[in-house]
Order: sequence, then C-alpha cells, then structure tokens
Amino acid sequence: MPEIILKNVSKRFGKFVAVDDLNLNIESNSFITLLGPSGCGKTTTLRMIAGLETPTEGTISIDGNVVFDADRGINLAPNKRDVGFLFQNYALWPHMTVYQNIAFGLENLKWDKKRIADRVHELLEMLRIGEFEKRYPAELSGGQQQRVAIARTLAPGPKVLFMDEPLSNLDAKLRMEMRTELKRLHRDTDSTFVYVTHDQLEAMTLSTRVCIMEGGLLQQYAPPLEMYNNPANLFVADFMGNPTINFIDGTAQMEGSKATITLGNIQAEFTADKPISLTGKDVVLGVRPEHIHISDAGKREAVVYSTLPTGMETTVKLDAEGIMLTAVVFGDVDYPIDSHVRFDFSKTAVLFDKATGKNVARGALRIK
Amino acid sequence: MKKFLALLMAACMLLSAVPALADVADTVAAAADLTHDELVEKALAETGTFVVAGTTSRITTAAEAFAELYGIEINSTNLKDLEIYTKLESESIDMVMIQDGAQLLDAIDAGIVINYVPASVKADVSEEDQYPLAHQFTNKLFIYNNLGDDVPAIHNVWELTDPSMKERIIFKSPTGEQVNMNFLIMLTSEKWSKKLEEAYKAWKGEDIDLGDYPTAGHKWIAEFLPNCQFGKSDTNIAEEISQETAAGKIGLFVLSKLRSSSVLSDNLTPAQYAASAEGYTVEPFSGFMYPIYAMVSANANRPYTAMLFIEYVMTAEGFAPWGKSIGAYSGNSAIPEKEGDLPLSVWKDTLVEEDPEYILDNFEVEDFVRQYLQ
Amino acid sequence: MQQTQTGKVKFSRIKGRLHAWFSKPANIILLVFLIALTVLTLYPLLSLLMETFTVHMGKEARAAKLPVGAFTWYHFQRVFATRDNNYSWIQFYKPLLNTLAVSVTSSVIAILFGGMVAFLVTRTNLKYKKFVSAVFTFPYIMPSWTLALFWETFFKNVNIGLKTSNGIMASVFGVYMPEWFVYGYFPIALVLGLHYAPFAYILIGGILRNMDANLEEAATILRTPRWRIIWRITLPIVKPAMLSTFLLVFASSMSAYSVPVFLGSPVRYYVLSTTMKELMNTYKGQAYIIVGVMILFGVAILMLNQKVTNSRKQFTTVTGKSGQISKIDLKRANAPIAIILVIILLLVAVVPLVTFALESLIIKAGDYSLGNMTLDFWVGTGLDKRLDQGDSTGILLNPKVWKALGYSLGLAVTCSVIAGTSGILVGYGVAKRRGSRLANWVSSLSFFPYLMPSLAFGAIYLAMSSNITWLHGFLLLALVGSVKYLPFASRSGVNAMLQLSGEIEEAALITGVPWWKRMLRVIFPIQKSSFLSGYLLPMVSCMRELSLFVLIVPTSNTILTTMLMQYSEKGWAQFGNAINLLIIVVVLLVNFTVNKLTGASIDKGVGG
Repeated sequence: MPEIILKNVSKRFGKFVAVDDLNLNIESNSFITLLGPSGCGKTTTLRMIAGLETPTEGTISIDGNVVFDADRGINLAPNKRDVGFLFQNYALWPHMTVYQNIAFGLENLKWDKKRIADRVHELLEMLRIGEFEKRYPAELSGGQQQRVAIARTLAPGPKVLFMDEPLSNLDAKLRMEMRTELKRLHRDTDSTFVYVTHDQLEAMTLSTRVCIMEGGLLQQYAPPLEMYNNPANLFVADFMGNPTINFIDGTAQMEGSKATITLGNIQAEFTADKPISLTGKDVVLGVRPEHIHISDAGKREAVVYSTLPTGMETTVKLDAEGIMLTAVVFGDVDYPIDSHVRFDFSKTAVLFDKATGKNVARGALRIK
Repeated sequence: MKKFLALLMAACMLLSAVPALADVADTVAAAADLTHDELVEKALAETGTFVVAGTTSRITTAAEAFAELYGIEINSTNLKDLEIYTKLESESIDMVMIQDGAQLLDAIDAGIVINYVPASVKADVSEEDQYPLAHQFTNKLFIYNNLGDDVPAIHNVWELTDPSMKERIIFKSPTGEQVNMNFLIMLTSEKWSKKLEEAYKAWKGEDIDLGDYPTAGHKWIAEFLPNCQFGKSDTNIAEEISQETAAGKIGLFVLSKLRSSSVLSDNLTPAQYAASAEGYTVEPFSGFMYPIYAMVSANANRPYTAMLFIEYVMTAEGFAPWGKSIGAYSGNSAIPEKEGDLPLSVWKDTLVEEDPEYILDNFEVEDFVRQYLQ
Repeated sequence: MQQTQTGKVKFSRIKGRLHAWFSKPANIILLVFLIALTVLTLYPLLSLLMETFTVHMGKEARAAKLPVGAFTWYHFQRVFATRDNNYSWIQFYKPLLNTLAVSVTSSVIAILFGGMVAFLVTRTNLKYKKFVSAVFTFPYIMPSWTLALFWETFFKNVNIGLKTSNGIMASVFGVYMPEWFVYGYFPIALVLGLHYAPFAYILIGGILRNMDANLEEAATILRTPRWRIIWRITLPIVKPAMLSTFLLVFASSMSAYSVPVFLGSPVRYYVLSTTMKELMNTYKGQAYIIVGVMILFGVAILMLNQKVTNSRKQFTTVTGKSGQISKIDLKRANAPIAIILVIILLLVAVVPLVTFALESLIIKAGDYSLGNMTLDFWVGTGLDKRLDQGDSTGILLNPKVWKALGYSLGLAVTCSVIAGTSGILVGYGVAKRRGSRLANWVSSLSFFPYLMPSLAFGAIYLAMSSNITWLHGFLLLALVGSVKYLPFASRSGVNAMLQLSGEIEEAALITGVPWWKRMLRVIFPIQKSSFLSGYLLPMVSCMRELSLFVLIVPTSNTILTTMLMQYSEKGWAQFGNAINLLIIVVVLLVNFTVNKLTGASIDKGVGG
C-alpha cells in the first residue's frame, strides 16, 4: 500500500516562500488533511505531490518510488505517479457528456471499449448517478457534478487520491452528506487520500491525521483529536475547534510541575502533566469552551454578555471581571443577557509560553 | 521536433537555390546590333513568364497583343513610377516603362535598369531621345472648362498668377507625381526663366521685379501654386473640370484623359488647341511634356524577350494601344500623331520639356516648391 | 572528492530543473514565441533604426553628398532641424500636430459614440437593440476608406474643395455643407472615430454587460440619483476599457493613410502618415524617422495604459456573476433615441454600400439619371472600344478580378490560420505562466506589431526580404499579414485562456492525456467560439487591408485592394467602386457565414 514521504520540500515563487522545508510522512491507507488558512501553502503542497507543481528543493516519494528529487534531477510527470486528483471546481469538461467525461481518461490508457464501458457503469452505479449518463455537466446540480468528478477521478483506480477543497462549492446540507460518502469511499477504495481544506470541522471529522500549515510552515502533524486536545502552539489551538478556544493572558509563578497563575483578578493553580520550563513569566492559558462550567456551584461570578442557543447546545459569552470567556452549555438552556451566573474551570487546560507561542504543558486548572 | 527542423532546413536550402543570373547588362550590350529575326530567335529560346511593369495602364494591352503574336506567357502590371524601383529591388521583372528621367538616370547609373535601342528603329529615333530611350511623350496641358462667361482661355501663363484665379486652377500635387515637380524645377532653368521674364513683360507691359526670388521661374511658382487646388488623379481632375458646375475652372493635366467616357470632353478646351486654331500663342508655354522610357531590367530572366518587346512597342503595331487616342506621341518619328491632335513638333515648341541633368543638379528647388503646397 | 560530489549534484539539479521547465508545453511555447517575435518585431525595428542613419539611392545620396550606404545624420537634421524654406515645419512639425489632433479627437469620438451605444444597449430598454448591435461593427468590417470616400461623394459641392461638382447631398437635396464639415480635421477625425467606435462598443460593452449589478444596486439603495451612479460608479469601472480603446484607436488613427488622403489633401491638410508615404519614395531615411516617431507615441500610450490599468486592476476583474441588472427605462426618450441611432447607423453602414452600387453604374460622373446608368462595369464586354476606359470587360467577367479575389481569400485564410493558431498558443502560454517575466515579454511583443504603421511595416519587411532569397511573394505576404494581425489573435487567445480554469486541463493531464490531445479535445472545443474569433478578425482585416500589402504584393499576383487602388488612381471610378463593393460584400459574407456557423464574432476577437 502506498506511502508518501516528503523530505525537506520547499517551493519558492521568486522571493515568496510558499512552502518551507516541509517533512511529511503519509502512511499508506490513511486519510490525511492538509489544513490551514488560505495562502498557507496547503494547495501548493498537494499539487507538488501530484506533480502539477515543481518543488524548488527536496525529495518526494510515493510507494517507495522517488517521484521527485531536486538533487538528482528526478521529476516524474503527474500521469506517471498513479494518482487521482479531484478539483475544487470539479473541472468537468463542459463539452462532454457524463459518460465521456469518465471514459476520456480511460481511452487514453488504451483500455478496450468493453472494459471502459464496464468500468464507467460500475462507477456510475457506485456513485448513484447512472441516470445522468448522457447528460452534459451544465444539466446537473452541484452535488451531481461533484459525484461525476469523483467518478472520473476514481475511474483509472489510482492508488492515491488528492482532493483540493472538493466540497467548498456545495451547500451545507450537501457537504454534510458528501463527507460521509467520502469517508465510506476511503474505506471502499482502499487507497490513500490526501485532502486539502480550510475548514477545521472537515479536517476533524474526515481524517486520520491532520497536517496544519501556516505561512508555508508545518505547524503540527497529528491525529485530529490529539491536535484538538494538545495543540502544538497558539495558532493550532486557535484554528482547531468551534467555538474557538479561550486564550487568557496571565503571569505564572512556578513550583515544579505546579504553577500559580494570575489571570486578572483570578488566581488559579495549574498542575501540569510534566515539568514546566518557561522563558519568562508571561503565559497564555488555553481553555476550551466546553471546559468552562456554568453552575450555581461555580467559584466566580460573571455577567452574561450574549448567548447563541442552537437547541443541542448554547454558546455563552461571559464577562468575568474584564476577561471575556466563551463557554458551551449542552442541552436546551438559555440565560437572560446581563444576568449574573457563576462559573468554574473544569480540569483540562493548555499552558502556552507567551513569548514563543509554544505549548508548554497540558494540565488541570483550578481556581484558588 | 528534430525531424521538423531538418525538414525546415531542407526547405530553406531548396528555396534559396535560385539559378544564378547571367549578367543582363552584357547581354544587352552584345545585342545592340541584332536584327529583328535574330532577336526573335533568341527571345523564343528563353523560358519562363515574361514580366513587364509600367506607369502607363496601356502596357497591358500592348503586352497581351505581344504575347499573342509570339506565343509567350506574359504578365503585366501598372505601377506608380517610384513603386517600380521598389519592385525591382525585390522581384524579377524583365522590362519596365517608366517616367521621371532624373530618377531614371540614377537608376541606370546604379545598374538597376539598362538602356537598349533596337537596331531596327534606331534611325527613326532622334539622337537626344535614345539615351534613355524615350518610348513616347505625354503632355500635360492647360485645359479649361469652356462654359459660362468667365472662360479662362489664357494667352499668358502669368494670368494664372493673378489673384482672380484663386482656387480656379486644378493640378496634381507635385509631391504626388514627380513629373509635375520636374516641370516646376525646369521653370527655374535659365531658358525658361528668361522666357517667363519676357512673357511677364508682354503681360504687364513692364519689366519683372523679382524681389527675393532668384529667378522668374521661382516667382511664377510662388504665385501660381497658391491659386491651385490639387486633384487625386489626372482622370479625376479631367472629370471634375468637365462638369457643368465647374465653369470658370482650368486644369493642368494629361491630354489623353479627354478620351475617357466619364469625362464630358465637349466642355473642355486645351488652351493650345484654341491658340493653334485662332493663331495666337500661349506665352511662354501651354503645358509641359515628359517622356515615358522603355528599359530592360537588370534582373531580367528573359532579356532578349525584353529587348524584343521594346522593339515591338517602338513599331506602329506595338504603339497602337497608345496611338489610337490623342495625347500620346511615339519616340519613333515615323509614327504620326493621332488624327485631330497636334504633331509632336508643335508640342516640342510650346511645352516645357524635362532635362534630367538639370533636374538632378537643382532638386533642392523641391523644398522651395513645398512651401507653396501648404 | 567532496567537490566533484557537490559538482555532480549541482549538475543534476540544473538538469532536473531544465527538464522540469521544458516538460511544460507552456514554457516551450513561450520560448519559441519569444525568439520568433523578437526576430519578427525587434529585428524590423532595429533595421528601421539603421535605415534612419543610412544614405539611400537617388536624391538622398545627392543631397547628403555621400555614397549610398554611408552613415549620416542628414535625415535627422532634415526632419527635425531644417529651417530653410520651413522644411521641418512643413514636413514634420505641422503634420505631427495635425496627427495628434486627429488621433486624439477620433479616440474621443470613438469612446463617446461607442461607449454611449454600448451603455444604451446593455443598460437601457432601448428599442431596436438587435439591429443596433448587429450593424454597429459594420464600419469596422468595411475598409476604412469606404466611409471617407462616401463622405466626400455624398457631401462635396461646388462651394468647397475643388469647387467643381456636387455630390448627392447638394445635387439631390440642395444642401451645401460648409468646407470644415466635408474636408480636413473634422471629417477625418469623425470618420476614423466612427470606423473604430466598434472597439469602444465591444470593450466597454463587455465590461458593462459583465459588471456586477450589486455595485450599482448598492448605490441605488443609498438613494443615489441615476446620473450620479453612472458618473461615480459606472464610469470609473469602465475607465480601463476606455483607456484600452484610446490606445487602440489612437495608434490606428495615427497610422491611417487613406482617410486623410481622401478628406485632407483637397484642403491641403496633411498628417504624418501622408508625409511618410510621400517621403518613403524619395527620402527613405526621413520616412523611417517619422515611422519611429509614430511608434514612440504608440509605445508611450501603451505604457501609460499599462500603468493605469495595473494600479487599478481591481476594476478589470469585475466580471463576476451578472445578476439581473435593472435596466434604465428611457420612457418617452426611447423612440427618438432609437430612431436617431438607427439613422446614424444606416448612414455610416448601409448608405455607403448603396452609394458605391450607384457610383459603379453611372457613366458620366455626377449624373444620377437612369439614362446615364449601365451594368457594363460589372458584366459588360468590349468596354475598351466602347468606353475607351479601363479594362475590356466588367469586373465580374474579368479573370484578373477573380484571380485577385482568389489570391486575397487565400492570403486572408493563410494569415488567419497562422495568426489565429499563434494567438491560441500565445494565449495558452501567457495564461499558464501568468505573471512570469517570460509571459509578460511574449504578451508585450505580440502586441507590438499593432503599434507599427502598416505601410512602414510592409516597407521594412520588403527591405528585410531582399536579403533572404526564399522570402518573397506569397510567403512574404503571409508572414507580414500574420505578424501584423497577431495582436488581435493573441488578445482573444489570452482572454479565452484566462476564462478557462487551469483545472480543466490538469484534470486531463493527470490521466496522462498528451498535450496536443488536451489542446484539441479539451481546451479548443470548450473555448471554440472565442478561439475562432481569433481567426476571424485577422481574416476580415486581411481581406480589406491595403497599406500593409501595397509594397510587397508581387507584380504577378494582385490582391483585390491593390487592384482597387490602381483603378482609383487611374481614375476608373466605376470599376473601383464596383471592386470596393465586391470587397465589402465578400468580407461581410465571410463574417456572417463564420458567425452563423461557429458563433465566432468580431466582438470576441477584439476581446470583449
């Protein structure tokens, strides 16, 4: 099964560095997401692996074969890398019918007519678009076009499938539906998926590992839940999760793996799961909204600034003596605006060094 | 890609392999004494399409008759004088008929065209018309509209400088056709300046005051041109002046245009015709005249055919396309003018003829002329 | 040892990079075109520069008192600094001022007229829109002298110009127009402006049509009055298109030759192109200097244009989704505006055709009675004996005319195939490597021939070809035509490619479809009508081109336009008019056939 290895890969456009010294090991059979804001280099990375873009430095190998090596002058053409690519705008050929769109690539592989017809029908079946065989792309809805694009990409049976924000043009409901389909497809096709998105929810829900990038640099490469719970730095912490994590500035007083942290008027005690080493006193504490508990038993008081109830949960914005905090309460509860509530931190929090922005330790937080 | 390049190279080499030209000048020089029959024999031995180009449109008719006579494939074009030289640089033409002797002398010196006088007609061509060989003469005359009460039937060219003639004279721009410029340059010559001075005295009854002008020719030019308007072509001028609405207008244009069906020639009278009929003279000239020369081109593929064609157009048969109407006079004195026209001898006395040598030495007069074209 | 190791790595790195670079067809295309266009445009430019310092045969050699081929400053001294007899003023400065006046005015007229009609058609509920948009490109499709010739024959009268005869307006309607209206600055600028107004119509109309309606609607909701929206929002958005139009029209007007000759010479109104043509015959060096000045003006405006459009780039990309645009209701003004517009269009597009038909029938000029009419000039025989003028048969029976028509068509098709295909390739390369220096170079070079005056372009190529034995005749004509019309083709090629997302091609690339197949099976079919427009415009322009070819047409093979010129120079007006009509009809036929069969149109060709 194919494994993709990127070693010291860089891409420069003139003076602009799109991807900077990227090392990545994509295990076979995994579903990897390249995540980040627009312009972070994720699409460039994907295109470099596919062979649509030529890296400036580094080596790339797929399934043990070196497909690119800047030093040795190796650069395999995209069609020789045995990969599939699903484009953001589907890139269906408007002058060909659904059938022709899927068959065109196969004709090119010199398959015989019968084999092509069988394969196309198999795919039409699999993606449930058999009835549209003779239609032109313009006569299809967005979701149907998406399925045709997937069928076309899967047709030659690529070992690796690349997807560049394939769901961003669909409406919310369809996107939901296609996500489950993609996950199913990953399992059914037995291939490696590399998926580019700027939607952290997509990354969280779909992938086995997430590679988060910013400014051309790899920020963290980990399974999604680990990334959520133990983000490598402030950027990752902020990018993952919705509603976003609370960042509370403070100063820390160290005693071994314990620290006393002053957050405005609040004194809290942080117990780390490993010894702490800080460069200065200034720290940022990251607390997920679901780890702020609102209850009458809470240790401190806050004013309700605004609430966003969805039925399943309610996001509450609190003003705790000048510190703005976001909390999530599960179930259909709501609070009047400007009412007073009590709150407490539950155990889990992440401590960041303010100077470097790096994760210092994960631990339990308790208000003194 | 490599195959394509190889093919391209091969194609280039093939195309550039043009047969080397024999020295046409030597051929022509050696042929000076050939008889008609010898010329025919050598011409028919040549191959390829015979190409002629000329400033006169009738070259086509002559060429077609010639082609039929000898069974030669022929190609003829009608071009403006200076275009012919451009063409001669870039493609192979066998024979040209061209005007503007001054430019032609330069071209002969540069070895672009070669003079040839057919032995069979040599005796009938006057000495001064043999180098370069004048095939025919064309005359541009003062011709006026004879309708209305104010007919400009001039007796003296100084009348044309009078303010009352403002915008009544139509001419072709001297910068548009060199022979017109040559005519004006000739007026500054000693001969014509003197004649203009005398004519001025005859007109005004007093001696001319040249002021800042170097010659009477300059003065005439400076006072004549501002009264002129410039037409697009001689045909166009003839048509315009012949209109009933054009009473009182006079033009200086090619006499042969009177033949055109689009010209109302009944409304037009050449000043010289009136003068000859009533026995007066237009002082000191009634227009001008220039030769059209016949030349062998230095890059000719068929030099003998070119010489044969020159001989042909110097005969009565070959001159017929021009000779059938007025305003064309063969350089061969044995061929008479068209009935109803005046003989060449009269025109030689009454018209300004160009002297290529004088024009070449005095071409800076052009700058002087240009000032009055604005 | 270590060193050879790193040396090896370095070498294979470079090799790898070169390989990667050359494995992209876009790069190869750009490189090939960079070389080809450098040779085909910069080389002529260089040889033009050389000519300005060289003594040529004839009067030049006598005047400069130097041998032919010698180096000289004589030409510069003559053109720029000769006070004697006012030479420089007469030959250069005054025509320059006239040229600038005419070019600026015609550009303004084109922008105002074309822009206004574009606005009326795209933004209002104007009546007869279909007719207006169908006929509006007519003046451009027709040869430019058509309108000039028509203007003169229609308006001339005995009070102006040669003061000899009356045109239709005076003889039939008894209206005598003043001289400034018929000859000189005003009609030249107007005729050129009308001729090139389709540029403005197409470029500005394209933006107005694709402009996001929200931009105007946002202003409407803020209770901005309609005129204020147009002035403050619509106009700034179409400004880049207006500037592009200005560039195109200015450069074309500056090198226009026939129109100033027809309408300027009768009142001694000369422009640079007319003095250049005259000098080209006797004083080549000076003529080339004037050409250089004209090119410099073109380049200056091109640079200005690029500077302005670059810094305002955000406007040009406003071609997003076009929602339902609320059209202005012209109310009671609708019918009058529509009728005036239709009359103007009939006057500039249809009446000239009728006039030419009429003029090709009458025998004696100016007499429009039935007794003075004949079909002889079309289908007569034995004319040389009966009329003693022109050819012996009417044009439709004249094998020379048919041969010339065939040659013209062959040339037009060849040029359009070469220019059109090159345009697509340039478009592909430039779009793929968008923003790279190479792409910018190729894109600028491919536009450059537009700035070269046609006549001079032909002259330079003629001079060049005399050194290359195999380059003459049809090959030379086809090369010159293809290079000269490449700007249009590459413009439409680039536009078409930019509209096509790169993914469309990559989707085929990833399954291993070879490049040529991607072009033929994927890219071309999708943008078929835009690409074909890139073929159509060179073809139409080629059919009606004169100045570009006049010097290089071989004597053995005339094309229709040079034939027309010879006829009109000889004063065979009826034959000339008949051929003119024939050219226009053929061009219109070609245009409509291609348009109906493939959907390609001049609009798309100009890049609307």
